Amino acid sequence: MIKTNRLSFRIIIRVLIITTSLFVVILLGYNYYTSKIIREATKENAIELAGNLAGRIEQILQPMEKIPEMVASTMELGLIHPDSLDIILQNILLRNPTIYGAAIAFEPDYFPEKGRYHMLYAYRENDKVHSVILGGDNYNYFYMDWYQIPAIMQKTYWTEPYFDEGGGNTLMATYSVPFFCTRDGEKRFAGIATVDLELHWLTDMVNAIRIFDTGYAFMLSRNGMAVTHPDRTMIMNKSIFSNAEEWGAPIMREIGRELIRGESQFRQYTLPGRPKLWAYYRNLESNQWSIMVVFPDREMYASLRAMNTMLIFFILVGLILLSLILSGVINRLSKPLVQVADSARSIAAGNFNVKLPQITTRDEMQELRDAFAHMQRELSTYLINLKEATAAKEKIESELRIARDIQMAMIPHTFPPFPDLPQIDLFAMLKSAKEVGGDLYDFFIMDKDKFCFAVGDVSGKGVPASLFMAMTRTLLRTIADREKSPALIMESLNRSLAFNNESNMFVTFFMGIIDLRTGILHFSNAGHNPPVLLSASGEIKAFDISKSIPLGLFEDFVYTESSLQLKPGDQIFAYTDGVTEAENKSDELFEEERMFSILEQQRQSSPRDMIRLMSIAIEDHVGDHPQSDDITMLTVAYNG
Amino acid sequence: MKLSKEKLNDALVLTVEGRLDTTQSDAFEKDIIQILDEGEQKIILDCSGLNYISSSGLRIFLIIQKKMMGIGGQFSICSLQPAIMEVFDMSGFSMIFSIHPDLETALKQ
Repeated sequence: MIKTNRLSFRIIIRVLIITTSLFVVILLGYNYYTSKIIREATKENAIELAGNLAGRIEQILQPMEKIPEMVASTMELGLIHPDSLDIILQNILLRNPTIYGAAIAFEPDYFPEKGRYHMLYAYRENDKVHSVILGGDNYNYFYMDWYQIPAIMQKTYWTEPYFDEGGGNTLMATYSVPFFCTRDGEKRFAGIATVDLELHWLTDMVNAIRIFDTGYAFMLSRNGMAVTHPDRTMIMNKSIFSNAEEWGAPIMREIGRELIRGESQFRQYTLPGRPKLWAYYRNLESNQWSIMVVFPDREMYASLRAMNTMLIFFILVGLILLSLILSGVINRLSKPLVQVADSARSIAAGNFNVKLPQITTRDEMQELRDAFAHMQRELSTYLINLKEATAAKEKIESELRIARDIQMAMIPHTFPPFPDLPQIDLFAMLKSAKEVGGDLYDFFIMDKDKFCFAVGDVSGKGVPASLFMAMTRTLLRTIADREKSPALIMESLNRSLAFNNESNMFVTFFMGIIDLRTGILHFSNAGHNPPVLLSASGEIKAFDISKSIPLGLFEDFVYTESSLQLKPGDQIFAYTDGVTEAENKSDELFEEERMFSILEQQRQSSPRDMIRLMSIAIEDHVGDHPQSDDITMLTVAYNG
Repeated sequence: MKLSKEKLNDALVLTVEGRLDTTQSDAFEKDIIQILDEGEQKIILDCSGLNYISSSGLRIFLIIQKKMMGIGGQFSICSLQPAIMEVFDMSGFSMIFSIHPDLETALKQ
């Protein structure tokens, strides 16, 4: 269960990673393009707002400019009597409620009879229009901006806004138009006609503009002074340059310079320690004042952010739903896997009849299930076969063990065999390469004082060899009852073994008979390794034996025999080629030389020790390599 | 063990190489019986490449000898290595077989 959970978990994680990356890319792209569109739209909007505002202000300013211009041109034509000027000015105020005041000021000594100063001024006070004559040492208008600048430039001029203290107590600006007269055929500057514009309405108009939540607009004079501002304390109090200094924002100074140059711009800027801002600014055509619209970046993109938040929420919900659905689908699809895995564990535990889940989806799962079912059947059949084969093998092995016991029972293995015969000491050993083998040894007493011993080696190994060995051993005992010389016994044995020997098995055979009274040994050999005679004198050598062939080959073969006189202390070591040809894992043989050197060392030992030590030497040589052939050794010591 | 055969004049020359021990002798016996069934009259067994022979191997040599004697054919062995020759001498098999020092001599027989 844990495994399938992990599978679905891994798949879901992968799918989520892919879909999330996809969504992130889409969101980023969407965000990028939408921000761009919003920025463009906001820019359009800001331009339009500022444009509208500028238009509305111009609509008020331009007609107003006409009034002093008309007064000036009328003055130049000389159609007005100087004494009716005050009436005209009062009329202007009465007909134009937006005008706070109007004046006509003449050059020094323009009317010699009226003195150096002559200025007429009409103004409002408590909804009434008054007019006064101004000028004098206490009101030297020649040096005032509204007079001096247009007089020098000889063109119309809007003053900077100013606070008219003592007069209307209001913020105003003055528009001045110079007029000229021709005296002595020469055109000369004659004076200035003005109107005063009260500016509170401008503040209201500009402050009414709202962009997003906290965006606002304001106006600056030609010198960057605040003409309108939502924060009224700024008006006529702060300029963009003084604020730049105060806030440590050189960008403001840059904007101020651009404004004075009359440039218009949509730009983003940042004030130290404040959020990002966007601004649009432009000039008014008539008086070079500028309108600036400012709004925070955060608010511009607020709608986009809200949209993003919503999108992310929906995407998250979607991803959660997707995960749940995927998990369900995967678990449903992989359910058979779990069942098959359970079945596999069941089968591993030995339950071959466990029922596999039924799958009818015609997909990989069914393929797996079918393959598994096939494996289950094959495994079941295989195990049945294996059981049968094992049973059969066990049976054969048990039979072989019994055969081995029978075979071993056929050869004597009680040592010392003849405690009451002091003339003979003897030890023998037979070690088969397989359960049963083809080597044999035997010894027995004939006619009370004759000791007979024999060693043989049947061709091959295993069961066929063991049968042939058993036959040889049985025949030997039977024939020895009848015949008394080794050669005759061998011939008789050979005849019996060769008779109907279709398989061409044969046995190499050595036998000897010691006359215990005289110590004379009669022996005969049928193709066997000659035994070794260890003389009491110390001489060690193989028996000198005339050639003859193994038993079982040719029925009529004539075997010869030889004899020699044993001396007390002589020992005879008989063996099969399993000793000299014992192999180790490098295919190296034990070799005759090695055997002889051990016999040399052990020639004083008892037959038992001699064979035991030879056996140890062979085992050392062979190591853990499987025994290659049957090994037989027999030592007879003649004590006299 | 590797067995190959070649017809030279009227003789079938079998060449046996490697070891002829108990485990190999079954395969060798099968091959030999198959060859003997073809009824060749003269067989020479070249043993120059034979470096070990067990009693099971000797038994197969005997099978060839007896079979060839039975059909009145001729079987000889040639080029025995000294160690193998010793085995033949010791077991008295050199008395049974017709053994030649080399293939040339065997072919002349």
